[in-house]
Amino acid sequence: MASELAIQSYGLTKQYGEAVVVNDLNLQVKAGECYGLLGPNGAGKSTAIHMLTTMTSPTSGDALICGQAVTDNPVHIRSLVGLVFQDSALDRTMTVDENLHFAAALYGLKKQQASERIDELLAVFNLEKKRHLKLLALSGGQRRAVDIARGVLHKPQVLFLDEPTIGLDLPNRRAIWRFVEQLRREQGMTVFLTTHYLEEAVACDQVDFIQQGKLQKGGKPTSLIRDLAAYIMELDCADSDAVAAQLTPQFGAPLIEDQHLSFRVQNAETDFSALQRSLGDTVNAMQWRRPNLNDVYLWSMTHHKAGVQ
Amino acid sequence: MSWLAVKAVISRELNKTFRQRGRLLSSLVRPLIWLLVIGSGVGSMLSGTQQEGYLQFLMPGIVAMTLLFAALLSALTLVYDKEFGVMRMMMIAPIAHGWIVVAKLIAATIIAMVQAVMLLVILLLIGLLDWQTALLLLPPALLTALLCASMGGLIAVWSKTLDNFAVIMNFVIFPVFFLSGALYPVTQLPDMLRYIVLVNPFGYGVDLLKHSIPGSQTDFSIITDLSVLIVFTIAAILIACWRFSRESVHEPLFRGGKKG
Repeated sequence: MASELAIQSYGLTKQYGEAVVVNDLNLQVKAGECYGLLGPNGAGKSTAIHMLTTMTSPTSGDALICGQAVTDNPVHIRSLVGLVFQDSALDRTMTVDENLHFAAALYGLKKQQASERIDELLAVFNLEKKRHLKLLALSGGQRRAVDIARGVLHKPQVLFLDEPTIGLDLPNRRAIWRFVEQLRREQGMTVFLTTHYLEEAVACDQVDFIQQGKLQKGGKPTSLIRDLAAYIMELDCADSDAVAAQLTPQFGAPLIEDQHLSFRVQNAETDFSALQRSLGDTVNAMQWRRPNLNDVYLWSMTHHKAGVQ
Repeated sequence: MSWLAVKAVISRELNKTFRQRGRLLSSLVRPLIWLLVIGSGVGSMLSGTQQEGYLQFLMPGIVAMTLLFAALLSALTLVYDKEFGVMRMMMIAPIAHGWIVVAKLIAATIIAMVQAVMLLVILLLIGLLDWQTALLLLPPALLTALLCASMGGLIAVWSKTLDNFAVIMNFVIFPVFFLSGALYPVTQLPDMLRYIVLVNPFGYGVDLLKHSIPGSQTDFSIITDLSVLIVFTIAAILIACWRFSRESVHEPLFRGGKKG
């Protein structure tokens, strides 16, 4: 690869009228890495992907894919990237085979070459027997698999996955992630993904969070989880304000959702049983557990919001 | 530019259309009803020689009508692909977006020509046409099909959904057809309508088709017809390609907003 950085963006901004959908996005993703952009619905994740893949033009700023500016030669950029859209881009009235051969031809793959690649991909997803069925006859998971197969037909250098496992059951989600991991391992493909299932993003080399179009720097998921806290302590209490005031000096400000409080506990030696006894009747329920990426996300978003206000 | 990609878009359109044989056959019903029912009905009000003359007059108009409906509606599959998301599969491919429009219009032209040829064969079989005239009708039919496809392309690139299909039928296809001289000579229309006919490019396609029928009454010279058809078609294709190249997959979500 010409550049060690597969994806770069500098001040990438998209504005529709007064609405700033993506605001000053600065990214750097190394070749071969798996990068996750996490954020709530409408945060600007898809718009960011669309700008990086030439599907929409930025209002300002620029982006480079494998060292080449996306605005200079969009057609060439599209030959370097694969994009699996959030919802299917396939023709439901055509068969699996017809859809994939059509997509292969769009990428300039000759018939023989396309057939071999399609056979290979259908075998990976165990869809060989479904190849002559129309898309309408497939399950949601199978349709998603065909969508992903379409996105990687031409062996792109950078694969963008916009919520690839949304609406899928666990076995299908696992099958798709196994395939993505295989692509990275065997072809050194760079993967850029967005997902709502944060536990899936743990496998990423790097994640960032985005809210209201603004990027908040993250890092390596395991480091982010480790740095967040040793434990997350969750309390259900009738008077959450009183309990929050009592525990904040010891654990810092909690996340408050109605009567539910979440504290970050940095000291791994904390005696939770003793604490529970000392809180007595003021707490209806209490639990403590190891943090995960969902916690990192929630704390990150809360702090971001506080910063914005 | 990948010819393979352009060919793929054309093949997909043709496969999808010709797979629906019922639709293909039913597309012949409309022109035949016009020709045989309306033609005979209106013709019955005329005297003997005029009656035969009206059928001859109507024939190129009916061929043009077949081309108009087929090409324009085929070009509108662009809207269908946008609405159902399939267009994104084409837009993410390494092909300049303008070529997607060109491929769609080539397919629409081929589909229109196939339907026109099927109609000509039927007219040959029922003795309303001879071989020489049928062959003479093909070149102007091709130019008219291209024109109609480019008109369809122009509408399609500005349309977001197929919801406004009825609007397109009522405000584009019917006025373009009725104000083209396909059913009656332009010269007999009131002044205001005659001016509208003059700016209707489809009217020049109808007129060019009439030039292929020996003894047919025409309104413009062949040079005028050819000039208008060629200039309008090229301009419409260029505008459609330009407009589509500026389109992004996000736009429908922000219909109320202005692009920044």
